Amino acid sequence: MPDNEFYAPDDIDLLRMENELLAFEVRFLKTRLGEPAKIPGSSTSLNRLGYLEEAERDLILLLHRLSGRPTGPVLRRTRSFRVLEQKYLHSPRPRSSSSPERLAYLEEAERDLILLLRRAFTSPFGKLLRRRKAFRTLEQRYLQTP
Amino acid sequence: MNMPRKETAVNPRPVIYAGRFADEVPTAKLPGDCEVLDDWSVLPFRLAEALEDATALVVLDLFSFPFESITEEQRDVPLVVVLPSDFDAPFLNTVFGEPLFGTLGPLDRVATADPALWEGLRRGYRWTDGQRIELDSDRPVEAAARVLARLEEEAAGTVLDKAVYRVRAGALGPQFVAACGVRAEDVPFDALEVGVGSGRWASSFDPAATRFAGLGFTEGLVEAAIADFPGGRFDLIGDGFAFPHADESFDLAFAVSVLHHQPAASKKTLISEMWRVARPGGRLMFLEDFVAGDLEHVVSIQKFVDLVLEATAGRVILEHFEALRYPRDPYFRGGLISLSKVGTPQTW
Repeated sequence: MPDNEFYAPDDIDLLRMENELLAFEVRFLKTRLGEPAKIPGSSTSLNRLGYLEEAERDLILLLHRLSGRPTGPVLRRTRSFRVLEQKYLHSPRPRSSSSPERLAYLEEAERDLILLLRRAFTSPFGKLLRRRKAFRTLEQRYLQTP
Repeated sequence: MNMPRKETAVNPRPVIYAGRFADEVPTAKLPGDCEVLDDWSVLPFRLAEALEDATALVVLDLFSFPFESITEEQRDVPLVVVLPSDFDAPFLNTVFGEPLFGTLGPLDRVATADPALWEGLRRGYRWTDGQRIELDSDRPVEAAARVLARLEEEAAGTVLDKAVYRVRAGALGPQFVAACGVRAEDVPFDALEVGVGSGRWASSFDPAATRFAGLGFTEGLVEAAIADFPGGRFDLIGDGFAFPHADESFDLAFAVSVLHHQPAASKKTLISEMWRVARPGGRLMFLEDFVAGDLEHVVSIQKFVDLVLEATAGRVILEHFEALRYPRDPYFRGGLISLSKVGTPQTW
């Protein structure tokens, strides 16, 4: 191999800048490897997506339970409860599992669930609801977890 | 040690492959320092020797040149193909198609005397008018003389090393695709190149799905870009680097080898303007040198990142980074940084 093909940089400032460049790339790659898998074209992790889907299922179950009880007709007098029933029990869900619309739908479901739980637990029936383990679990999962 | 030429004026030393027409192309009749090869001169060692310091390879006899046997390094020599005019576009497309025509980039040239043949091929391969060398005659000696005159004209200006272009294109291509993402067919992709030059990167985007805009620093280059990409919008950068575009107009704003020519204050203004015109969730991309060489205003990656954070008030997320080493350069000198803009759209 001719001498001039050896890697022999001699400018200390250039070396420092090159080291910085490569160290930055290494930091970036390490960070990326440490991250959970991502949905193509989105910055939402699969963990987060799983959590949101669980929240949607919990909201649907909660709505079924609330509307099927004797309290159902009372709750249905409020417009917001009727809207929730219409939206999550009687309307078709977005089909694609990874589209931005589906993600937006799931995030909205999570917000609706949190609002519904807050309203339920601050109502006069809050103490009654807390007697049931399922409601305590929901409270812990969605209202007390940061 | 040989360093990449990148963007410099060079002394042209083209190699002409005349093949079966070698007798019709006497070296004495050609201007400048060029070498003529016949169809026996394309044995690997002979071709390697001839292309060692060549600034262009002009192929006058397409049918006898062994394109399949040239090496990766030899592909970094800009190629000029002279189209034989006795054949129509579908025939040449069938014979050479993607393996040859599909590999011709913005730094390669296509010479032909037949406008119909040019039109028949250029659309399919996204060649620009700037890549065409118009010939007056098909005679090999006249074609060679015309091509050499054009190469000499181009060499008087700044010429980008094709090897450098290849490395940059290899890094940018996947990031352009990632920036485009998955979108409905009827939603156009809005891309802005800052420091657009003659619009070289515009051909990386599908013109049917992209609204390409470019901002240039010199009038001549902006005019060249308008001529080559009539579907795009090209403007001169205004005083104080203010962009003539509304806020949140683009899905991608990128600059290739532009900011390292600018002092820190100008870098900051340009980054800030790029951020302003990018849509929330859209991408900002910079391919620059981060290791100082002959250029005065190169800053280290850390300083550049600090500038970006300052210019955007930290409202960006790092999506991709890779260091680039250009052929024959002892250092990893370049870097491609891709960021997405964080924020809430002003209008829905």
